[in-house]
Amino acid sequence: MINLAQKDVKHTLGKFLVTAMGVGMLLGIVLIMIGVYRGMMVDAEVLLDDINADLWVVQEGTLGPFAEASRIHEDLRNTLRVIDGIENAEALTFQNIQLPKKPKPVRVVAVGYDPLGTINPINPDHIIAGRALMKEHYEIVVTDTTGFTLGDTIHLVRNDYTVVGITHGSVSSGADPLVYVSLKDAQELQFSYSNNRIRSDRARGFKNTETLMVNTIVGRVKAGYDVNAVAREIERFKHKSVYTAAEQKSILTKNLVQRASKQIGMFTGILVIVSTIIIALIIYTMTLEKMKEISIMKLIGIPNGMIIKMIVQETLLLGFLAFLFGNLFSHLIYGKFPKRVVLEIPDAWMLFIVVIIASILASMVGVRKVIHADPAAAIGG
Amino acid sequence: MGKQSIRVENLVKHFGKGESLVEVIDGASFQVNKGELVALVAPSGAGKTTLLMMIGCVEEPTSGTVWLGEEKVYENRWLTKETRKIRREKIGFIFQAHYLIPFLNVIENVTLVPQTNGVPEKEANKIAMELLEYFEIADKAHAISSELSGGQNQRVAIARALANKPQIILADEPTAALDTKRSVDVVKMLKKIATDQDVAVIMVTHDEAMLPLCDRILTIEDKKVVSHEVTQDSAMI
Repeated sequence: MINLAQKDVKHTLGKFLVTAMGVGMLLGIVLIMIGVYRGMMVDAEVLLDDINADLWVVQEGTLGPFAEASRIHEDLRNTLRVIDGIENAEALTFQNIQLPKKPKPVRVVAVGYDPLGTINPINPDHIIAGRALMKEHYEIVVTDTTGFTLGDTIHLVRNDYTVVGITHGSVSSGADPLVYVSLKDAQELQFSYSNNRIRSDRARGFKNTETLMVNTIVGRVKAGYDVNAVAREIERFKHKSVYTAAEQKSILTKNLVQRASKQIGMFTGILVIVSTIIIALIIYTMTLEKMKEISIMKLIGIPNGMIIKMIVQETLLLGFLAFLFGNLFSHLIYGKFPKRVVLEIPDAWMLFIVVIIASILASMVGVRKVIHADPAAAIGG
Repeated sequence: MGKQSIRVENLVKHFGKGESLVEVIDGASFQVNKGELVALVAPSGAGKTTLLMMIGCVEEPTSGTVWLGEEKVYENRWLTKETRKIRREKIGFIFQAHYLIPFLNVIENVTLVPQTNGVPEKEANKIAMELLEYFEIADKAHAISSELSGGQNQRVAIARALANKPQIILADEPTAALDTKRSVDVVKMLKKIATDQDVAVIMVTHDEAMLPLCDRILTIEDKKVVSHEVTQDSAMI
């Protein structure tokens, strides 16, 4: 039996492929959008996973240190270390800074930690060159995407910092590259003022004590202790907000990323609807182009079912090819995006199902046209 | 010749209702026998195409009776829901232009209807090749219509109309797009088909030069069909 769809597609193969490529690019963007969302979720957890703390102690009543600003005293670390159930505790700072670089400065998040402490936020697996910090001053570890290399000198505020290590894949929850400096340097970067400001403060009788502040104290709980119970204990007696690792992850993904992911979800939904409409319009146009042939086929007795099968098969083939081109397109370009894009196979399968359903819906416009085609239109020129 | 291929009795076709009622055909009765080539001639707007569509089970008449061969297919209503099946199995259509399906090659165009009727592909191809050889176009079996000349396309279209071994061929101005020589060739070919395949051919034409080549002439006069024998003066009808 003659397969009309196969013959028709073969007859207009070039046009069909170009159309499928066009729709495929749209589907590729859908995949990229989903990948951006997945990337945000991954980025949000990178730093948390690298620090690998059981508890996050922050300023009371805040969702710090990522979702809200938090300032607490550095010496709280020492208090926490003697609480029953705490194995170790360290102070950390986080701040956005711009590293001077030509042609334009690089925006990064600087993590301050004690190089001689017990909790190191640098994942050793991420170090691709050099080493972690070993001195308390003037060393910096940068992520490869900043463009700096080992031995480079970076001038920040009043001092020069030497790049001693390069990491790969270290990003903040906002997908900015991470750099690591010692806690003392970080406090100075974050809380020190210019000489003029210090003189002005002194004249007013203000004393700058902020260099002894940090953004959070992270701690690990001894084996056999209930993390939640320890957290609630600290919260009750130290008047701080304390989050477990799971709670901190939830704050990041729900409070910080959720709105962005909703936005991306809406974009994705709109793109899928637009793709469906475009496929429907293409099928409608392709059907309109064949109306004379369809009328002739109906006139010479070809059943509607055979003609409808042609339309539906062509639509499904268009959807399938567009899906393949979409995957190809997204895999070709996803590495060029400035932020992490994670393409996952389950998402591609989900899109495949959506595309097939959309194609079937889109073919209905062509099918309707076929059903209403007048065979008499073939007679009389 | 002699056995009826199509018979029409008291066929009526009205369009519209009330004051806007238009009577196109009003009580047409005629018969076309197997092996006959009959020309249907009438001025534009007289109802030739409407009559052709009613005979071809495309347009439903208002009333009357239509037989295709021995089967009564219409008596004040279609006697079957499958008018498309009747077209596919009993009628061959030829149009002004060839109207071949552009994405099918010659042999696929010819075998489309037989294969739809359930004829196995191999057998359908055999029938198609015999027809293409008959029309001396077998060497173009795998070409598509855009690669053929107008005359070749028209021959393929006629082969397609014959592929389902129809009882009747309805040709709507098949020579309208051809020059005189080719027109004469096509009409002679239709006459040969009528005789060789023992089918009735009804051909709508405006070309008076073709009338002497036909067996009979049907005209539409006062919304009725009148049959004329072919004489030397037929070209003057």
